[in-house]
Amino acid sequence: MLATAAVVGYGLHTGFQRSARGADLPNVIARFDRQPLSRVAPRIEALPDLAAFAFRLEVTNVDLIGGAHRSREGVVEVLSPGRRGFDLLAGRELSVRPGEAIVEQGVARSWGLRLGSRLLLDGLGALRVVGIAESPDNVAFPLAAPRIYLSRPALDARFGVERDPQVNVAELWLKDPRQLDQVLGQARASSYGLRGLRVITRDGVRVLLDQAAGIVIALLVALSAIALLTAAVMLGASARAEVERRLAGIGVRRAIGAGRAHIALTHAVEAAIVSIPAGGLGVGVGYLVARGPSDRLLEAINELPPGVGLLAPLAGCWALTALIPVLASGWPALRASRRPPIALMRGAELGGRRGGRSLLGRVRLGGNLVGLAALGARLVSARRVRLLATLAVLGVSVGFILLMLALASELNTLQSDPGSLGKRYQLTASLPAAAVPQVRRLSGIAAVAPRYEVQALDSFSLGETIDLIGYPGDHTIFEAPPLVSGHRLGSDSGAEVGRGLAQVLGLRPGSTVAVELPSGHEARFRVAGIVDSLQHDGRVVYVSSRALLASEPSAQEQLAVRLSAGASPVAVTRRLAALGAKPKATGGATDRGRSLIAALTAILRAVAIVDGLVCIYALIQALFLTARERRSTIAVLRACGADAGAVRVLLGGAAVAAVAPAALIGVLLERFVLGPAMARLAIGYASLELSAGSGEIAAVLAGLAVLAAAAVLWVARQAGREPIVVALS
Amino acid sequence: MVSLLQACGVVKRVGRGRASSEVLAGVDLDVQEGELVAVLGRSGSGKSTLLHLLGGLDRPDAGSITLAGQSLLGCSQRELTRIRLRRIGFVFQSFQLIEEMSGEENVLLPAGLPGAPPGGALRARNLIEELGVGAVASHLPHELSGGEQQRFAIARALVNEPALVLADEPTGNLDSVAARDLLAILRGLTAAGRSVIMVTHERDVAGAADRVLEMVDGRLR
Amino acid sequence: MSSERDPGAEASLTRREALVKITSGGTALLLASCGMSPRRAPAANGSTLLSSYVDPGGVGVLEIGDGIPLLDRQELAPRALPGVVLCTIAHLTDVHVLDEQSPARVPFLRRLGAPFNSTFRPQEAFTAHVLAGAVRAIGRLAPNAVIQGGDLIDNAQGNELELALELLRGGPVDPASGGRGYVGVQVASNPDPLYYRPDLDAPRHPGILAASTRRFTSTPLSVPWHPVLGDHDILVQGVLAPSKITREIALGTRAIWDLPAHLRIPGELTDAAITAASSSPDGLAAPAVVGQLIQAASKAPAVTVPADPARRELDVAEVLARLRATSGSGGAGERMDYSFDVGSNVRVIVLDLVRREGGSGGLVHGEQRRWLAHELARAGRRWRLLASHQPLTSSEGGEALLALLDRDPRVLAAIWGHTHRNRIIPRPTRAGGYWLIATCSLIDYPQELRALRVRETAGGGAALETWMIDHVPDGEIGDVSRELSYLDSQGGRPQAFQGGRLDRNVRLFKAAPSGD
Repeated sequence: MLATAAVVGYGLHTGFQRSARGADLPNVIARFDRQPLSRVAPRIEALPDLAAFAFRLEVTNVDLIGGAHRSREGVVEVLSPGRRGFDLLAGRELSVRPGEAIVEQGVARSWGLRLGSRLLLDGLGALRVVGIAESPDNVAFPLAAPRIYLSRPALDARFGVERDPQVNVAELWLKDPRQLDQVLGQARASSYGLRGLRVITRDGVRVLLDQAAGIVIALLVALSAIALLTAAVMLGASARAEVERRLAGIGVRRAIGAGRAHIALTHAVEAAIVSIPAGGLGVGVGYLVARGPSDRLLEAINELPPGVGLLAPLAGCWALTALIPVLASGWPALRASRRPPIALMRGAELGGRRGGRSLLGRVRLGGNLVGLAALGARLVSARRVRLLATLAVLGVSVGFILLMLALASELNTLQSDPGSLGKRYQLTASLPAAAVPQVRRLSGIAAVAPRYEVQALDSFSLGETIDLIGYPGDHTIFEAPPLVSGHRLGSDSGAEVGRGLAQVLGLRPGSTVAVELPSGHEARFRVAGIVDSLQHDGRVVYVSSRALLASEPSAQEQLAVRLSAGASPVAVTRRLAALGAKPKATGGATDRGRSLIAALTAILRAVAIVDGLVCIYALIQALFLTARERRSTIAVLRACGADAGAVRVLLGGAAVAAVAPAALIGVLLERFVLGPAMARLAIGYASLELSAGSGEIAAVLAGLAVLAAAAVLWVARQAGREPIVVALS
Repeated sequence: MVSLLQACGVVKRVGRGRASSEVLAGVDLDVQEGELVAVLGRSGSGKSTLLHLLGGLDRPDAGSITLAGQSLLGCSQRELTRIRLRRIGFVFQSFQLIEEMSGEENVLLPAGLPGAPPGGALRARNLIEELGVGAVASHLPHELSGGEQQRFAIARALVNEPALVLADEPTGNLDSVAARDLLAILRGLTAAGRSVIMVTHERDVAGAADRVLEMVDGRLR
Repeated sequence: MSSERDPGAEASLTRREALVKITSGGTALLLASCGMSPRRAPAANGSTLLSSYVDPGGVGVLEIGDGIPLLDRQELAPRALPGVVLCTIAHLTDVHVLDEQSPARVPFLRRLGAPFNSTFRPQEAFTAHVLAGAVRAIGRLAPNAVIQGGDLIDNAQGNELELALELLRGGPVDPASGGRGYVGVQVASNPDPLYYRPDLDAPRHPGILAASTRRFTSTPLSVPWHPVLGDHDILVQGVLAPSKITREIALGTRAIWDLPAHLRIPGELTDAAITAASSSPDGLAAPAVVGQLIQAASKAPAVTVPADPARRELDVAEVLARLRATSGSGGAGERMDYSFDVGSNVRVIVLDLVRREGGSGGLVHGEQRRWLAHELARAGRRWRLLASHQPLTSSEGGEALLALLDRDPRVLAAIWGHTHRNRIIPRPTRAGGYWLIATCSLIDYPQELRALRVRETAGGGAALETWMIDHVPDGEIGDVSRELSYLDSQGGRPQAFQGGRLDRNVRLFKAAPSGD
């Protein structure tokens, strides 16, 4: 499990850096409406701190046909000579000969294109694929539009040399990336006349990609941490249980004069003999299970798989999994050997008192089948430490599995287009603000408020339209894109500005943003905070509705409806429709999002399966050890005439004693610790409800029960096979 | 006198292949109802093994054992278990009381197993009183003396009213006073019509029985 | 070192020494790796012979680098051993002391690019401090004379001139205008992203605008200085003769910060030919057209700023009078044509090429040719230096004056500013040739002034040594000004105003006049 988490976590966490380095991603990518090169080049050349720059012409919505596949949303990048911002995975660079193209790896993979394959481009005819590239400046097809690269000389050869070619993308590589802000400031100051300016920096690309897979990365990194903790608990518990089992042996050795350190070392070495190969095997299995889905996920976001880089973290996992049992064997052995040998030989529990009725109180043991089960429970709980360890392992595993189920179902319901992340309302209703009290009275609705949106221009004609969004009061109830700097808009004059806009206009908390509204008025707001919003490329401004309406009374008005937890969207939609609203769900499902979700779900499933295996192991181990230690008890029972069924009841009682509290622990853990912790980690990207639903809990408990039953049956059979006589002695 | 238990030519081997040896080399035995039989032998002579075979806890390699007309050989595990539940009571040398349960709960144990004859609770109570350990019935085994533990073990063996009681070195862990009391109890059992087979290595303990058989070289004499 | 040391002690000493060495070496390594290696301090007198501001990595950050030694230039005469120093002169030009809060400015034009680059500069609020720094540097150079090469102020405003002269006189100086504090285009609340706002934009210098309006004390220029008239000294924005409209605007409260919507820039203004002709960063040579621009702009939405009567635009006579009064030099009459001696061997002839009716290019007036010929004749055996604001090579009628100079064998050099560039070109003539020296400005990068030293050489020739001098700040404002001027993408860096190796620290040889 550790290895699984390590593979995925490491891959995702370092994926961007690897790809950015491999692809030589520029520090700044500036996009603008088409300009002749002669007008743009001098401005770029005058910027400080430039190591290199290159221009491209990006043409969108091109009709591309590759074999049986077709897309009308193809993006063609016409490259001027110079540095590249992509990594060639196969093939070669474009030459000046016409008819050559490099395709992005997502397209190549999805459309089955190889070197030499043919592509048809509307307007240019047939092209031959000479290279396959990966560029981490955007997610891969099919999450993003399909991209191909052509060379300008090739176009010139076909259409004739363009004296002053048009460009709309400038890539800048800086000598010292720390001067980025200064460079951006200078670029902005000399950008007059460039319309539609959008600037994205390497950090910005990273944010974009992180948000596309944002939840996943944060969650998986967190899952890795939890997995590590769980693994440590499990390994430590198992090792400790082993030492417990062998207390008598320790006592004997102490009695004959072995030193404490020697005993501890012996145990440690014995543990190591098992843990090293076992750890290697486990890590190997975890790696194999996780590699496929993880690589697929990385490809989807145009990042390179870690490849050899995984050796280090995997070796670390191996070392860790080998080390923990060693420590967990050596340390308790060291401590146990402190006690008098006689006590050890009598089998006193590690640090626990034997006997006592505490755990099961007044239940009459042995009186009937219930009593038998109670006896079984009593047997397993006599070994307090081991029981706690087993409970811990099972509980955490159950919690984990529940968390992953909750995650998977949440991801499925999200089905988003990352643009709707940050939205916390599920429905919109086309009703006026006056209808709010009426709507609020409907059941299943947690909050409702009017939402105003208007398209504005920035007053300095630097870019395209800005989405101006206004709510009365606290908008974070409905929309809460993560806050990057500053604080939420506090007053009527405050605004939260999307990062994309802030970068173009050079805005910071405290500066002023000026927008020109369709009514002709100009509105100015003081920037309270900068938020990460992918809506409209980050060109959004959140303001109070009062301020918005003051400048633009005819802003589009809607009600944003947030459902209470557990409410059925279908039912609420019906109730809203009954009021005359035309309710619509937010968060469109796009085909592109689905493949990412599919990759993510595959990873979650892999992790859940591995975790399930761990559960089985823990259960069987607990039962098995109990049966082994109480062989004589079971033998006595059989000698007294207990049949196989009675033995099963006994062990069943033991299993219940282990499983029932563990299930409870697991459910509570997931609901109050793991779920909220995970949700808080991802809070920037979406508001996740990560409590496992009752259906999921029931499924997990049922699974647990089945596992427990299987374990009981198996252990009972093993116990039954042993001749009574042997067991008695 | 009705014959309760017959054993004919019972052979039991231990070990494998060339290292095997015959612990029991053809034992014949016939026990009547209401008889107290002692099997005397040195330690390692195979007397415990014989007891285990008679009690259905193990199967002989050759020979036959019949209890109350029913041959143990053809019985499946289930049937053997049934027989052990209702017809045989075992008293172990080391008492084999379950540590987590009180003396009384230990006694009740066989009575609660599926297939036990009803009314076990009452019988248990009576047995405990009869054996004089009523006062300490709720104590856990490690809080009881050896003699008290043995009595609970006997009570447990008797709670389902078996026809045959098998006792393995019943005085082995007792002092002389307790041992005398125990033998008296065993004698008393036969008065109720039960057969008792006792295995011991002490001649004077064996002397309290109706019949003494000696285990020599894997055979009974 | 005694050789009779106890070997044991020696051993232990060396061990200790080794330890000390290791730890100190390690610490030094550590500190160095932390980037805390001992920082080089700039030369106390700003002389680039000792230290200069360099950007070795090309990353946009200036740091102190090595000094630049003098390079011999022998295009006109072979090298000869320099001897006695005849005089040292500082050439301080294009200071452009600015009233950045004045409503009579058009900063919004800068975004249109050339030729409007000079209408706004990110460092424009700090010109007073840069001048103070230059004065400090001159004081340490201790030359015999200072030539103030024109464009002392930026917008023909009275308060600008007063501020500049106060700075040169020394004593308490008040750079504020229109009341306390800064009310201008660079305030944080100005949403226009095309202005550098020090409170918000990188590199951030919060509070520096307010600091720049505070009173401070300037050291006086204790060396005699001699003014040259520049276009910005008497023309609004260096191009427009003050008119009723401009005077109203200057004294008014309406300032235009935003680019007026639908502003149509007449094609002539952006014509490359015009900008090339006047070869100045503020090369607008068509005043009539600019007038139309101002008419249109005056109807645009404006910001209210405090008025200040001190902003009164001066007429030419006033400017000349004040310059002459403060400097104690400057000749007399309608034009600032005059000459002065520096020591007994060097005479400087100053020419006034400024157009009174507007336009920033140089113009030679009819009388000036005759006057120059007279001055050259009367100068005797002295070495001659010619000083003007605009280059003679690009001034209208300049060829005639150059022809005069060509014939004189004792002309050492013609020195000017206006182009804001460092440039030294040899002008070979039959009379031996002379050097054409252009000096950069104090407002655009590299923000330097030029030192000139005339030395006799063996055989009767002369060597003119020249090197650049950086202004010496007292406090951070001067350095910030330099930093901003360097970053400025429409300023001196991309246009290479600092010049090449041959344009800065050089030793220029002039042969002895033949047949003398």
